Amino acid sequence: MSLSRSPSPRAEGGWASPGLSSDFGSTGGTFSPRKAYLDLSVNGGASGSGTVTWANARAKTDEVNGYPSFSTRKTGFFSRHARRISSSLPQFNLGLKKDYSEREKLGRGRPYPYSGSWSDRMRTFIGSMGRRMRMRGLLVMVLILSIILFYTTPLHYWYRRAFFLGGGSKFVIVLAANIGGGVMDWKGPREWAIERDSVRNKRRYAKRWGYELEIVDMSTKKKYAHEWRESWEKVDTMRNCMRKYPKAEWFWWLDLNTFIMEPSISLQSQVFNELNKNVYRDINQYNPLNITHPPTSEFLDPISRSPSGDNKTSSIDLIVPQDCAGFNLGSFLLRRSAWTDRLLDIWWDPVLYEQKHMEWEHKEQDALEHMYNAQPWIRTHTAFIQQRKINSFPKGACGDDDKTYPDKRFHYSEADRDFLVNMAGCEWGRDCWGEMYNFRELSNKLNRSAWEKFKDGISERWKKIFKRKKS
Amino acid sequence: MHFALPPRKTSNPPPYTRPSKWSPTNAAHSLRKQRTLGVVIFCASLVAFFIFLRTVTPASVAAANIPAGTPEVVIVTVIDDKVSQAYLDRIKHNREDYASQYGYKTFYAHQKDFDLGQAPKSWALLPAIRKAMTEYPHTTYFWALSPHAVIMNPTQSLVERVMAPKKLESLMIKDQPVVPPDSVIHTFSHLKGHQIDFVITQDAEGLCSESMILRRGDWANFFLDVWFDPLYRSYNFQKAENHALEHIVQWHPTILTRLALIPIRTINAYTAQMSSRGGPATTIMDDDFVARAVGCEKDPTRNCEREMTPWFDTWKTKYDVKHSHGQF
Repeated sequence: MSLSRSPSPRAEGGWASPGLSSDFGSTGGTFSPRKAYLDLSVNGGASGSGTVTWANARAKTDEVNGYPSFSTRKTGFFSRHARRISSSLPQFNLGLKKDYSEREKLGRGRPYPYSGSWSDRMRTFIGSMGRRMRMRGLLVMVLILSIILFYTTPLHYWYRRAFFLGGGSKFVIVLAANIGGGVMDWKGPREWAIERDSVRNKRRYAKRWGYELEIVDMSTKKKYAHEWRESWEKVDTMRNCMRKYPKAEWFWWLDLNTFIMEPSISLQSQVFNELNKNVYRDINQYNPLNITHPPTSEFLDPISRSPSGDNKTSSIDLIVPQDCAGFNLGSFLLRRSAWTDRLLDIWWDPVLYEQKHMEWEHKEQDALEHMYNAQPWIRTHTAFIQQRKINSFPKGACGDDDKTYPDKRFHYSEADRDFLVNMAGCEWGRDCWGEMYNFRELSNKLNRSAWEKFKDGISERWKKIFKRKKS
Repeated sequence: MHFALPPRKTSNPPPYTRPSKWSPTNAAHSLRKQRTLGVVIFCASLVAFFIFLRTVTPASVAAANIPAGTPEVVIVTVIDDKVSQAYLDRIKHNREDYASQYGYKTFYAHQKDFDLGQAPKSWALLPAIRKAMTEYPHTTYFWALSPHAVIMNPTQSLVERVMAPKKLESLMIKDQPVVPPDSVIHTFSHLKGHQIDFVITQDAEGLCSESMILRRGDWANFFLDVWFDPLYRSYNFQKAENHALEHIVQWHPTILTRLALIPIRTINAYTAQMSSRGGPATTIMDDDFVARAVGCEKDPTRNCEREMTPWFDTWKTKYDVKHSHGQF
């Protein structure tokens, strides 16, 4: 019982039994008159502890004159909470004195009996935490660890693939490779390089998001009895893919001369999560072919005559981008459905082909345009997508010169970080490999990690300084 | 050193204490337990809900609300310009009598109503069926019947006679060359009655689009639109839409899978025996459903109306007898 801490009821500021004050009460932060008393008693010397003469007390009272003798201690925040704060702080003077001079601290008292190695410190630190804190810390650790595990192991791949989680296995990328080739047309190193880069680009993308990738051999073969149908293989390829991946829902056709510029964007977030916002049903929104829409024939049902079909996203089975000249099948999406079976079945027809194959330079593309124009059932299940969403063009792909070049509707924009580049028509007078190479490098540069950016930034700055000094 | 003494237990404990489980501290403990349990359950249900959202897609097809009074069958007749008014009235009388017996409706369209460009007028059949489908948006079956045909035996509804799935399965001719005599494309042999959207007959010359039954649906729209493609119309098929039909049926399996061939006399018996068309197998017998004058439209030496007159008369006498009986 440290009576020294209780205010004296007496006006003179005396103590009932002053000799009972204890040593350990003298922690910092108090300005009790006790100090003066102790000083006094030490100075007094002869009287020894425990003897308080009236004179002593009197003298001490005089000394602290001016201070009220009660209720004034520990008024400041720090002085009130000092102990709590200091005891909750980690302590780092880990019993560094190893000699036996402080005998009573060996193995007792302060909890730092260990040698001071890291694990011991950790243990004491954890030991000194409260139970609840410990549980919380554990939870955070587990969380961080599981996130790291998720991304470093194939776990995230399987998550993204699973049809009930990421849904990646519902998408198939169909890549047309090995065009030409064979005996007819030897491939040079550039063609091989294009193919290698393009395939690697898609393979990585598919792996990242858990999609299926089907690389189709498009080399010219005599597949059909009559050579008419040669290179109308898009249809057959799509149908085979649908058979090969019976669980997949969407099939994304890609020409070889394409490059996915933003592999960190999934197809779902690019197109499908907000399908109704990303596509448009009414071709009048952008209509380079001047197709009359909606159909005017009076015998058609209201849905066929509506400019946007039945307005349900569930009825969209074909998503086509339109470039400056009309439909573009360099990158398009097809959904597995009864409608799609019919489309793939009807797409190539000998009677239509016989009449039109001289005109239909772009084969399936022209045939699709014809069907869209002539057969209302096509329109109710077709949607269009802004070209740059899945099919940006480089300079020159739209027959453009410097005047028309940066057209917001067609051309790749680095600032907007367009998703995919289709170097359409590069084999006619443009440099396919050069374009592919440049876009690959650009994509790599745009998608550097923060650490790489930091490093590159430093090296660039270094180079600048170095150059300046040289010159 | 002074230590606080533990508080003394009271000497007079209350006679009835709550069970030891309940005490302020225990209550707090169980409350905390409940809370953790609640959190766990909440998380689990959240995960379950998440998975549920991912797997279950909303049922897209709600049962279509069919308004009362919708006919189950609509009989579509496309009339060419040569038909006289008197003949037209007879046709209408015949069809409306049959339709009224079973709650069906009739639909008439004129060839000149449709813009066919340079193509033969008979192509009007296809937009006419689509127009009927637009006008009767809930009707299931559309029976396109040539104007030169009479319903002779109205004792059974069309659905009973042909379209009921079980009945259709018994009627279907399986593994039959689509175009006689030796097309490599045969009708499928594994089809079930409910999968059929298109019922047609066949004689020795080919498919007979003069009497055919279509079931409403996406497939029907697809089929009619493809069939009506302008490039087929401009192709100069010798028998116009009939040959175009034979062409698409043979080339496109998605069409063939919905097609059923049924014996010709079921819905399309011929009034005269024609060896080129299959001889006696195609010719009408006593109780046959429909009598049709075949080939008269394009033959300038024949007159469809005159050929059909005796058949109308036969039907009319039967009709009069029945109705006079009904009056008494």
